[in-house]
Amino acid sequence: MTLFLLRRAALLVVSLLAASVLVFLALRLLPGDVAQTIGGIKATPAQVAAVRHDLGLDRPLAAQYGDWIGGVVTGDFGRSVLDGTSVSGQLAEKFAVTGPLAAGAVVLALAFAVPLGVLAAVRRDSRLGSAVNTVGQLGIALPTLWTGLLLVVVFAVQVPWLPAQGFPVDGWAEPGQALRSLVLPWLTLALAEGAVLLRFVRSAVLDVLHQDWLRTARAKGRTRTSALLRHGLRNAAVPVVSVLGLQIAALVAGAVVVEQVFVLPGVGQMLITDVGNRDLDKVQGEILLLTAAVLVVGFLVDLAHRLIDPRLRSTL
Amino acid sequence: MRRSTALRHAATTTVLVGLAATGCGTGAADSPGDTGQTSQAAQPDAIDTAATVDVRLVLEPTSLDIAGTAGAALDQILLDNIYQGLLTRDEDNKVRPSLATSFKESPDGLTYTFRLAKNAAFHDGTKVTAADAVWSLRQVTAAGSTNPDAAALASVKSVTAADDHTVVVTLAHRDTGFTWRLTGRAGIVFKRGTDFSSLAGKENGTGPFKLGGWKRGSSITFVRNDAYWGKKAKVAKVVFHYIKDDNAANNAQRTGQTDIETGANATLLQPFTDNPDHTVLRGDTTDKFTLALNNAEGPTKDVRVRRAVRRAVDKAGLIKILGGAGRPVGGPIPPSDPGYEDLTSIDAYDPAGAKKLLRQAGYGDGLKLTVQIPTIYPAEIGDYLASQLKQVGIQLTVRPVEFQTWLDAVYTKHDYQLSVVDHAEARDLNNFANPDYYFGYDNADVRTWYAAARTAEGDGARDALLKKAARQVSEDAAADWLFVSQTLTVVRDGVTGVPRNFTSNRYRLADLAVAKK
Repeated sequence: MTLFLLRRAALLVVSLLAASVLVFLALRLLPGDVAQTIGGIKATPAQVAAVRHDLGLDRPLAAQYGDWIGGVVTGDFGRSVLDGTSVSGQLAEKFAVTGPLAAGAVVLALAFAVPLGVLAAVRRDSRLGSAVNTVGQLGIALPTLWTGLLLVVVFAVQVPWLPAQGFPVDGWAEPGQALRSLVLPWLTLALAEGAVLLRFVRSAVLDVLHQDWLRTARAKGRTRTSALLRHGLRNAAVPVVSVLGLQIAALVAGAVVVEQVFVLPGVGQMLITDVGNRDLDKVQGEILLLTAAVLVVGFLVDLAHRLIDPRLRSTL
Repeated sequence: MRRSTALRHAATTTVLVGLAATGCGTGAADSPGDTGQTSQAAQPDAIDTAATVDVRLVLEPTSLDIAGTAGAALDQILLDNIYQGLLTRDEDNKVRPSLATSFKESPDGLTYTFRLAKNAAFHDGTKVTAADAVWSLRQVTAAGSTNPDAAALASVKSVTAADDHTVVVTLAHRDTGFTWRLTGRAGIVFKRGTDFSSLAGKENGTGPFKLGGWKRGSSITFVRNDAYWGKKAKVAKVVFHYIKDDNAANNAQRTGQTDIETGANATLLQPFTDNPDHTVLRGDTTDKFTLALNNAEGPTKDVRVRRAVRRAVDKAGLIKILGGAGRPVGGPIPPSDPGYEDLTSIDAYDPAGAKKLLRQAGYGDGLKLTVQIPTIYPAEIGDYLASQLKQVGIQLTVRPVEFQTWLDAVYTKHDYQLSVVDHAEARDLNNFANPDYYFGYDNADVRTWYAAARTAEGDGARDALLKKAARQVSEDAAADWLFVSQTLTVVRDGVTGVPRNFTSNRYRLADLAVAKK
């Protein structure tokens, strides 16, 4: 296990370094720069060039990368060129919205995907089973944007129960208001994520239903339900956990859309704004931290696999 | 963020079906953009001075450093509210006193003497003196100044303080636009010695409001400056909510999350018209949606091609599909600027004439062109242009680009054939008197007339010259002017003193009031 942890940690560092180079270079391919944002369309080309020089944007790429990564290694993710705010500070502020948004969506998605998925598998030949399956298909087919707008029209505009958009100005200082603002975004994300999960849970459970060891368990006197609960779910969980890991990473993309629809000041919205302004020092810090988060999720998935399935523990 | 065209078309249809003629709307009742009134209710007798007003704005500033960072989003909220200049402009775009309570112009037009308000103070409590004003203006005019608006004071020769409350500005030559340009950010009075690099985080203005807080990506809060030297603000707090999506903004206004929705989409107004809880205000802007035609290179270098493009596009039709909130202009000067005249008869809609011009230019067999349009504008504009030009044999490829890409490729490198951009600034005819500007338009007469207009003696002479130059620019088809947009503001009942005109350039909060419940 120690060797496994060490190997995984090394892999994490190498992946992050590779990602940092990739992110840095990819962003440099974008036309335009922050000096132009600062100068606008009234400044003369000479003024914009002066700003570019002040910001060090005319230095060689290697030197710019070196400065940045040197800071990152010492824990300094840099500052916004535009407004001077620190990247880590801004990320913390935005994550206070995106974190609960993503976590709540995952919990909610699991809460209905697991029981419904099992139900759809166990009752696959019944009307109920196929109905659940159809609803799952539908959930995958519906674009997040559309579900979001629909929920707003019904629960905010027609029946004014919940806010249509936004997050309280004082954030979590008003917990009730903050939670209310998140209900519709949660539902929107959970419907999309849950539908995908439901399909995977269903196929994973169907898979184990036909395994020999399950038949053996039943032959030894267990009912189908009890055999499934005792032995089946644990085995079905292995592929589902993998998918869940991927889904959590995909949530970042989903959150971008949902944050736009509901005007939530989260990480996705911040990234879009910063790329638009070409505030690249900030963008690369943000992307690197997000990459790290995704890699950590992958790591946790591996760890979870080993805990769920003892057979994996002997492998590296 | 791209808007869904299909969604908006659907919304338009619904609105068109459900709409009835309303209020003081002018013109045809079947165009939703024609709703909206130009006057609003008087301030009620009893006002709630502890009120908070929530305002929807579209474009969030990139930083709060008004001395170093460009962008109308900064001017919009900071000018007059947080920072003040010697002069300001009113709702009719006219120059008015601000920190300078009066000013005198010498007979030769070269010396301006400003008298400063005696009791004005910065937010930190220090009195405003002439030394502060002199220091501020010198920062803008200094050699190597990176103030994005430095060109506004290019004619200034020297700035001195005659006494503690008198500022004297000497010009190198007569400048008919000097006082007007002083109303912009170039004229802001900062406390002497202000470190501009710190402005992004904190402000020390002189205005009726102070900065309360900024949640990046979401909202900016202003609080009343209770020590303000002039007439104090009538509301305690204003929160600007930055909501780009028009549907989301509409929902916010409908559900009471905002009190004022600026920049309302004309095609989505139906919930607010004929609704006693809301008023729709219609206002003027200087936003000229301009179809730029590269005058320096490519097929559009040929004036016949440029004129053909202009004749091929029916502006009235475009305004209609966008909901009606615009007026045709036909030239580079909008109605609220000096030198305006209706030039819509030059290259008016005439597809047959356009085809003829294209044949003469050697494109009888067709012509392929590409237009670059920043994604911040309605996607319908590109679709409409493509379908209009197709009818005269021009195959138009619409390339939506991110605004920064537009700045780099079109604005800086002049690498384009056609482009659509909202030239929002007032009095920007100088763009057509500058051959290095991305239009690539160069006419010696226009340059001479424009220069003469700047140094003319008196507004009458100035306006005549501007008119002459603008007409020439239009006759040369230097660009095509699709429309001057109008702005629609939805206001919750009980809120008065709401800015109506030029709302994307400055949003003055001084008269905002909320009725006591």
